[in-house]
Amino acid sequence: MKHNYDVAIIGGGIIGMGTGCYLARKGIKIALIEREYLGSGSTGRCIGGIRQQFSTSTSIRLMRESIELFSKMEEEFGFPVEFHQGGYLLLAHSEKMVDIFKANIEIQKKEKVNVSLLTPGEANKVVPHLNLENLHAAAYCPDDGQAFPFAVLKGYKQQIERHKGALFLHNKVEKIEKTNPFVIMLQDGTRIESEKVLLCAGPWTAEIAQTIGLDLPLSPERHEAIITERMPKFLEPMVVDYREDGCYFNQFISGQICGCYTPIPNVPGIRDDASFEFVPNVAWRMTRLVPAIKNASILRHWAGCYTMTPDGNPLVGESPVDGLYVASGMSGHGFMFGPAIAKHLAHYIIQGEWDTDFSEFSINRSFENRESLK
Amino acid sequence: MSDNILICRCEDITEEMVKEALDSGITTLEEIKRFLRAGMGPCQGRTCGPILRSMLARKLNTSLQNIEEWRKRPPLKPVTVSAFIQVEGEES
Ligand SMILES: Cc1cc2nc3c(=O)[nH]c(=O)nc-3n(C[C@H](O)[C@H](O)[C@H](O)COP(=O)(O)OP(=O)(O)OC[C@H]3O[C@@H](n4cnc5c(N)ncnc54)[C@H](O)[C@@H]3O)c2cc1C
Ligand code: FES
Repeated sequence: MKHNYDVAIIGGGIIGMGTGCYLARKGIKIALIEREYLGSGSTGRCIGGIRQQFSTSTSIRLMRESIELFSKMEEEFGFPVEFHQGGYLLLAHSEKMVDIFKANIEIQKKEKVNVSLLTPGEANKVVPHLNLENLHAAAYCPDDGQAFPFAVLKGYKQQIERHKGALFLHNKVEKIEKTNPFVIMLQDGTRIESEKVLLCAGPWTAEIAQTIGLDLPLSPERHEAIITERMPKFLEPMVVDYREDGCYFNQFISGQICGCYTPIPNVPGIRDDASFEFVPNVAWRMTRLVPAIKNASILRHWAGCYTMTPDGNPLVGESPVDGLYVASGMSGHGFMFGPAIAKHLAHYIIQGEWDTDFSEFSINRSFENRESLK
Repeated sequence: MSDNILICRCEDITEEMVKEALDSGITTLEEIKRFLRAGMGPCQGRTCGPILRSMLARKLNTSLQNIEEWRKRPPLKPVTVSAFIQVEGEES
């Protein structure tokens, strides 16, 4: 069977579904192709954290916009996406970290983020029973929060269907052909023809780009998480411990505690196997900060991918192949950036120019002398 | 009324919610679990799993054997955080 579309979107994660929604609403004829089910990549494995505490104006502005979009979703979709603004509390256990926080807060305040530097005593009011040992200060934004990724995907899916977008699920893209229009071959033999292609396949993006001869500086790495049984709510914000043996965790509105840490060294590759050392490590790291967590029961442990770029910023825009757009390299923030990136990227694909500054995420930027920030 | 029967007691998921999910085009147990959280409770789906499986088989007009089980995630039974620290805590 042959199909014709304006834009073919490869990948049913937050980026593909969000951009698909905004394109379809503008009357663009889209096809969205997903190899498994929606959210089966990184989006369904993330813990749904949403924060504005970034270090550059572009990221902060986008995140302010994303929060605005998350807060309107319940009304737009007609059901809750479990958006909850419990805040983010970032901990500094060294003077060097305090200086980094201070510099970031200055930029964040310029962008009107409601953020402040707290003394350990003040941090203790935000998280009672917080272990204050070696704590120098904390950065706190009460407007940061979380949402449930699958509810957001469901909302976008319904919008895409309402605006006559086509979904090809459980069907893998084998190859993109650089013809005019593009030809996309699916696993089951379906042939899709499309004027433009948006490649947003998360960790698999570089692999698919290769089929059209495009090299992208993307490297997936494994990140793990655990979730506990429900406990009475005692933890409002996401707590982030930046020490080398630190971790980050929050408690969902439903009461489960979800915890992660960034492994050092990183674990490269597209993999979702869960390691032996993760659970005891994360258990120790979380209870070191909030001892009450020791009574929680761990229900599940899983792994997924961050897709990294050399400087830790996403890769978003038109590629050197005319008509082929890329959005990947979302690191640990693709879910939270998703709605805002989707909205601007849809505009860019339709109009051919950005309606806000995306140069920091440009595919053509130089990666020399840039260190990655997670 | 009958659609309000609880299918997943751990996560408060009713028959009506499962039917709505099946009507939206869901075709695997994994998706039911992810989108609804059915099967994600303390019993890890031991109670609701078989019912969900047969509901899905009926909806897809196929036999139970054709419905792939959901992926098992460690630990299979809830274990307290403190147990992990006592056994293998790296830095303790
Ligand atoms: C443990 C963990 C915790 C995280 N916590 C957070 C957090 O708190 N906040 C936050 O913002 N982010 C977090 N992240 C990061 C976040 O999950 C990602 O940045 C984000 O989900 C990326 O979305 P995406 O749409 O780019 O990619 P994905 O969600 O990976 O979507 C890509 C899709 O493409 C599909 N695909 C791949 N190849 C093909 C093919 N050949 N044909 C068709 N389809 C294909 C995949 O199946 C997949 O569904 C976390 C990640 C992990 C692993
Ligand atoms: S009844 Fe569904 S998880 Fe226990």
